[in-house]
Amino acid sequence: MLRHDVVVVGAGLAGQRAALAAIEAGRDVAIVSKLHPLRSHSGAAQGGINAAVGAEDSVDTHIFDTVKGSDYLGDQDAIEFFCREAGPIVVEMEHFGTIFSRSDDGSLARRPFGGAHFPRTIYAADRTGLALLQALWERLGSERLTLYAEWDLVDLVVRDGRVHGLVAFDRTSGEFAEIAAKAVVLATGPAGRVYAKTTNAHSCTGDGIAAAYAAGAFLKDMEFVQFHPTALLESSILITEGARGEGGLLKNASGEQFMVRYAPHVKELASRDVVSRAIVTEVKEGRGFSGPFGGYVHLELMHLGRERVESRLTEICDFARRFAGIDPVTEPIPVYPAQHYMMGGIGTDIHGATNLTGLYAAGEAACVSIHGANRLGGNSLLETLVFGREAGRAAAAYAATAPAPEMHASDLEAAAAPLRAWSARTDGEDPSTLRTEMQRTMEECAGIYRDAAGMLEGIQRLRALRARFEKVRVVDRSPVYNLNLTDALETGHLLELAEVILVGAYARTESRGAHARTDFPKRDDARWMRHTLARRTPTGPALDYAPVAFTRFEPTERVY
Amino acid sequence: MPTASAIPVPLEVYRFQPGVDAKPSYRRYELELSPHTPVLSALLKVRAEVDPTLSLRYSCRSAICGSCAMRINSKSRLACETPVGPEIERHGRIVVEPMANQPVIRDLVVDQASFWKEYERIEPHLKPDPLHPMPEGRPNPMTPAEVERFHDTPRCIACAACYSACPAVAADPAFPGPMALAKLYRFVVDPRDGAHQDRLVRIQTEGLWLCLRCHLCTEACPKDVRPSERIRDLKEMAIAAQGATEHGSRHAVGFKTNIRAAGTLNESRLVRQTFGVVGMLPQLPHGLAIWRKKPEVAKRPRPIEGADELEKIYEALDPEEPR
Repeated sequence: MLRHDVVVVGAGLAGQRAALAAIEAGRDVAIVSKLHPLRSHSGAAQGGINAAVGAEDSVDTHIFDTVKGSDYLGDQDAIEFFCREAGPIVVEMEHFGTIFSRSDDGSLARRPFGGAHFPRTIYAADRTGLALLQALWERLGSERLTLYAEWDLVDLVVRDGRVHGLVAFDRTSGEFAEIAAKAVVLATGPAGRVYAKTTNAHSCTGDGIAAAYAAGAFLKDMEFVQFHPTALLESSILITEGARGEGGLLKNASGEQFMVRYAPHVKELASRDVVSRAIVTEVKEGRGFSGPFGGYVHLELMHLGRERVESRLTEICDFARRFAGIDPVTEPIPVYPAQHYMMGGIGTDIHGATNLTGLYAAGEAACVSIHGANRLGGNSLLETLVFGREAGRAAAAYAATAPAPEMHASDLEAAAAPLRAWSARTDGEDPSTLRTEMQRTMEECAGIYRDAAGMLEGIQRLRALRARFEKVRVVDRSPVYNLNLTDALETGHLLELAEVILVGAYARTESRGAHARTDFPKRDDARWMRHTLARRTPTGPALDYAPVAFTRFEPTERVY
Repeated sequence: MPTASAIPVPLEVYRFQPGVDAKPSYRRYELELSPHTPVLSALLKVRAEVDPTLSLRYSCRSAICGSCAMRINSKSRLACETPVGPEIERHGRIVVEPMANQPVIRDLVVDQASFWKEYERIEPHLKPDPLHPMPEGRPNPMTPAEVERFHDTPRCIACAACYSACPAVAADPAFPGPMALAKLYRFVVDPRDGAHQDRLVRIQTEGLWLCLRCHLCTEACPKDVRPSERIRDLKEMAIAAQGATEHGSRHAVGFKTNIRAAGTLNESRLVRQTFGVVGMLPQLPHGLAIWRKKPEVAKRPRPIEGADELEKIYEALDPEEPR
């Protein structure tokens, strides 16, 4: 049996930062990841990372902007900590070797981002995630840890409320393995693939969130799903908020800069939930463009000039040219909102600790909560580093004194049994059919605008899909790189999490941040100024609620 | 938006399960797709609707994770950003094969261990100069001009398309490959790195001069990293740092002095310049064999007509350097 002090699952920025912290604390550390670390979805983050380092800016303003952006659902104590750590952790990444874009005076260049009072978003052209991921991986170095790359997490081993390790399988050999661990950090990213239209990678299937949920951890605020306003039409490939930060304009079919009506002060740079709803409304009310891939609006960069567009928005120029056949220097980009980020996740405290002893979580898989009901652009890269490090430190500290984990031979068998049953079946449905139907259901029933009837229907459809999943069939019988088996495993995870999103959303009879209900259009602080906690039961998620931490900002109406 | 109607897309996909299949085969799938559909989407359609046993690496589908490099009609590229239309127009079909220079694990999935090993071998992390510690609590200053010096190397997504396309990798396991060298360049020009000199000296004898200058890496690179141009820069910097002290660099310098002197190569002189008089000895049988077939190589070539014009070009290019 494999054995480590701390096992981190997921090798994106949060997982790597956790691993680095645990190594620095002297622990024996392993990373289990279904992708090579440099292929993690953190690398797809484009726009930048927030830190209030400008002379005109302040940590307090960053705190306030984040609280307001969260529609007052973010925990203010956590947000204060988060914003204070921003400057030092960005400097640390610079010292690790990140190649940031620079101003003429040699300082870190900053661009304006939605919902922020000042230009606060430090960036590396429009590939900030990639720049950070390279620097962190190169700093971490593979020689200081054990890397289980292209391994799929199957299950956590939890007994008496404590984690003892996990079961995973190696894609290349197809073999199942037990890894005993004193502490486990889940940094497996989001489950964006519950939706059909998402900016998320195919690999964003919430494996760690689902494993934590199955093991008895609480999932927090899962109903809050961010839709990015500007995804490329059809492919839903992300067009960074940096495009608007650089001065890009949104126009409807009559050429009107419609954001003037929705957010008169900051227009295109309102918070993401606000801009996404504005685009959907424009299209719904007949002022958008229409085409074979549905309605859309235009994102215009032409007025910025070739030099600025090509140097600061290099990747998206390539994206638009290659994926849509459109040159943003001379033509508008057709965009429509798509699922982008999950504010919710495995419930943790400020140190990444969950309600299970020895189990920690960080990054998009976790919910501290700092984003509340809506995340600000530039805050998620920061979150991966700040809370990745916290979770790594806490896991290492716990592992230093924790008793040896107890794994039983039956643990592996229990975890592997369902997968073996899928492969042994001679009839049943392919996982991709179920996945496609789930994605359609979530698109129709848990989108930007929601109502009770739609969500109730969605819950019923998901339950039917879950029942059908009981008979899922893996036709590929090869042990080697069996993606059919991975598909089935991931689809099971997604189905569980889709239900948590919908059940939480149905119960929350208000509109707040990214959760917009047509039947309850107002925020209801008296009843709903609280976090949703979902716990798994055999009949579906059981909901409970927890208070929001306030320090200094009283909730007021959110206007941009 | 491109909205052209669907076209027939015959896909011929390499299939191989080591241990199960005796040898690789190609399976043909007939699809109908709009011309701008990426090859990756076509392969995922095959997986979802026709054959879930097809194996490949993929993740972001937006050319940033580097997972889906493969050979498409013989060219190493990312499947997610290669539209089917132009491929069909040019070749009438789409042949999809795993990357070259890496052993096949299954179908389109290759074992990338050697690629990652070469990347690790160039020690891809900052080695700060102990005499110039990083400023405490502040970022290092770096001007936009210093950022420019990285060229497009920070865009590298480690997809290995260059490694797959590189004939030097195929020919010589001592060659680190284009990606590793472009990565090395990224550290050599980093003003925060204190090991430029060591890195340049080391790479001179660790494969830098094995590059064949064919530029196929630059053609294959989906992110415009232009590895062959950065390898050229590394060679220039290595000679500037250490002088021409090693076969590869001595060959390059000898080549230049030959051309500058006469506008043509004196091949036996070039061998002597590269290997030195004693070092030439092991080359002797090889040289004799060439001489027997082509006796004129031993003669000192006469300067070509207009060789003095050439000198003017050299002087204009490099006024500092004496003849």
